[in-house]
Amino acid sequence: MSEYLLEMTGICKSFAGVHALKNVNFKVRPGKVMCLAGENGCGKSTLVKIISGVYTKDEGEVLFEGKPITKITPAEATKLGIQVIYQDLSIFPNLTVMENLAINSEITAGKKLVNRKSWEATAKEALSKIGYDIDLNAKMGELSVADKQLVAICRALLFDAKLIIMDEPTTALTKKEVDALFKTARQLRDSGIAIMFISHKTEEIFEISDDVCIMRNGENVYAGPTKDLTPKEFTYHMTGRELTDDHFVTRNVSKEPVLKVDHLTLKNKFTDVSFELREGEILGITGLLGSGRTELALSLFGLEHPKEGSIYLNGEAVKISSPIKAQKLKIGYVPEDRLTEGLCLQQPISDNITLSSLKRLSNAIGLIKNKDILDDADIWKEKFSIKTDDVRKFASTLSGGNQQKIVLSKWLSNDLDVLILNGPTVGVDVGAKQDIHALVHDLANEGLAVIIISDDLSEVVVNCSRVIVMKEGRIVGEMSGDDITENKILEIIR
Amino acid sequence: MLAKVKNFASKNNYTTMLLSLLAVLLLFFSITKAGTFWTVGTWKGIVMQFPEYGLMTIGVMFCFISGNIDMSFVALGDFATIMAVRYMAAHTTEGMSNGQMVGVILVSLLIVILIGALGGVINGVLIAYLNIPPVMATIAMQLVWLGLSTALTQGYAVTGVTPLFTEIGHTMLFGFLPVPLLVFIVVFLIAAFLLKYTTYGKKLYMIGTNVKAARFSAINTRGMIIGTFVLADIICCFGCMLMVSTMNSAKADYGTSYVMNVILILVLAGVLPDGGMGKIFNVLLAIISIQIISSGVNMFSSLNPYHASMIWGGLLIIVLILSTRFNGSGFKLRKRKKKV
Repeated sequence: MSEYLLEMTGICKSFAGVHALKNVNFKVRPGKVMCLAGENGCGKSTLVKIISGVYTKDEGEVLFEGKPITKITPAEATKLGIQVIYQDLSIFPNLTVMENLAINSEITAGKKLVNRKSWEATAKEALSKIGYDIDLNAKMGELSVADKQLVAICRALLFDAKLIIMDEPTTALTKKEVDALFKTARQLRDSGIAIMFISHKTEEIFEISDDVCIMRNGENVYAGPTKDLTPKEFTYHMTGRELTDDHFVTRNVSKEPVLKVDHLTLKNKFTDVSFELREGEILGITGLLGSGRTELALSLFGLEHPKEGSIYLNGEAVKISSPIKAQKLKIGYVPEDRLTEGLCLQQPISDNITLSSLKRLSNAIGLIKNKDILDDADIWKEKFSIKTDDVRKFASTLSGGNQQKIVLSKWLSNDLDVLILNGPTVGVDVGAKQDIHALVHDLANEGLAVIIISDDLSEVVVNCSRVIVMKEGRIVGEMSGDDITENKILEIIR
Repeated sequence: MLAKVKNFASKNNYTTMLLSLLAVLLLFFSITKAGTFWTVGTWKGIVMQFPEYGLMTIGVMFCFISGNIDMSFVALGDFATIMAVRYMAAHTTEGMSNGQMVGVILVSLLIVILIGALGGVINGVLIAYLNIPPVMATIAMQLVWLGLSTALTQGYAVTGVTPLFTEIGHTMLFGFLPVPLLVFIVVFLIAAFLLKYTTYGKKLYMIGTNVKAARFSAINTRGMIIGTFVLADIICCFGCMLMVSTMNSAKADYGTSYVMNVILILVLAGVLPDGGMGKIFNVLLAIISIQIISSGVNMFSSLNPYHASMIWGGLLIIVLILSTRFNGSGFKLRKRKKKV
């Protein structure tokens, strides 16, 4: 029996002549948590798909429990004890928890009829493996992401998994849910299961992993115990450059507030919210999911309509009835979910960038020249160093960070007074995150009033000159300047 | 040269496929029906027939690009034309001067436009404001219009079309350009212009790709959808007006088979109801191909029009199979790939 559960040496894989993986080596020990880290597009997902049998490797050797594996199909991978929990979780949203848990094993067992008792038994057995308690008859689609994930883990355990691979499991989770997930992961680890955890979040990797494998541009640049690394070295390996955290310092704050929110209330979402925002400020709004922070932002952008309270822009009371009105009032909003709310993925980058400024680029009767669109897009491509050789390519060809730059450009090409950023760096890798932060600092110093809504506390601390903490729809704390620390925010939230 | 062709082909899958299809069809009929295919009569038939559903195809194309579908356009058009022909019948008298008849025709066209716009507004409001899935909303409206027309006419054809109108519909301008074809060409050019050179066209494609993102980008998505249905349904009603001029009457169930034909042509041209994709030039190629098939089939005495519909169906399946190669992962109705 080998010391390692999974050993991969010299793995290469290319797609249409482009190397996705170059000579990757890495090992997973049983009973340990191993992190696969790297920026978006570095080949993490490709590697996982090779392990799970979705892709076939071009070169290299894979040993599982010391035995070489040459060709593997997803079904065989399952038999060997490899389970992958993908980001989309592969669940059936219309079925109940019980059905989701039992369906695979019941079908593999060749049963043709549904025996409720046996399904229930299977489901209960699955849940008992991690001591997780949930209503078996709840509809899967109605559960929170965290619960879905735990159900998916339970399902994986039914197959006597030896290696569980989790593809960026924490992306949509709150801090509390992440803690619960990590607790489960440790529990599994202690029972001898190897866990491979894919992530690009530094803090999480240091918190959970025993070993780490860092990838960059399809090569692994570091493999070894996590404790031998400092966070700084880790970031260096991941991005290939030294990064510094520049705390934002306000330069020119206006006397009069640009935006004033006065006793704003949206039924069942938030209550009695009041704050002011000045030019040159970056105001952070933080709080757990469901604290009303997103609804507050949507109210300022005309997508929610609070009945009570008022909003003032430059001293004048305004009613923001729609995003069109918000645009007229010079308010821009970069939404939380880039893929569904921010971008038209299967359309050119150029059309995405200019979508909100077509009026400016066209003449009085709505005629527009394609060249004007391309020229405008090229300006933003240069300004934000969006990594593409041609702005006519689809937005879907870009990585998360570059996509976020498109959404930002879309609003910045308008003349704005207030810019609201909701989760500006969710799913964005460390390098691009720094770029975006630096950009926002510049904008604020040029006189823009910025609101950042985020549950990434380190982001809030680094970027904001003032922070409002929301809890259950109410403002429960406010701090500014050097008073802003992660611990203080956490104290208030909890 | 060859490299240029290859480059074009790889970038314009549908165009290449449709041009090849057209070439094969022309070659096939030239060989098998050498005597009859290349005659003035055959081509006169071809250019007389397709403008009717060609117009409807252009109309519905706008709905498809916006990510919607319209099933009600023929029923709506029939209702509109019934009302127009009723007006014509009531106001046309023996011995009217041409000038008076032009007046009657213009008013009846206005009636068609107004009813078409009304139908479009209803469709648009049902979809954009009441969030009813487009297929359901427009099928329901199809039943409403069909029921209304049948109840009004007891299912009989409505006659009494102003003679001048029928005459214009059969006129050959300059001896070779039928008026319906001219109408089609004009509408086609306007549509192509709208899609390519206006902000409306840009926004239409973006809404079709992701209506939510468009809304978050301060686009008036609801207004756009209603406007698009109004435009589409007015164009479709004009298509039905061309039918009136050929049939010399209006009826509750004229052209009902066009609903499926139009969808077939659009899918053939790569304009899918998923929205956000498709080129109008390909739509033109698809319209012509479909018409050549049905005209060609008519030349075989052993075949009847149903065989043409059989060939269309087979063709559609072949195109769908091919298109899975174009798109990589095939047809995805309302499903977007999640980026991992």
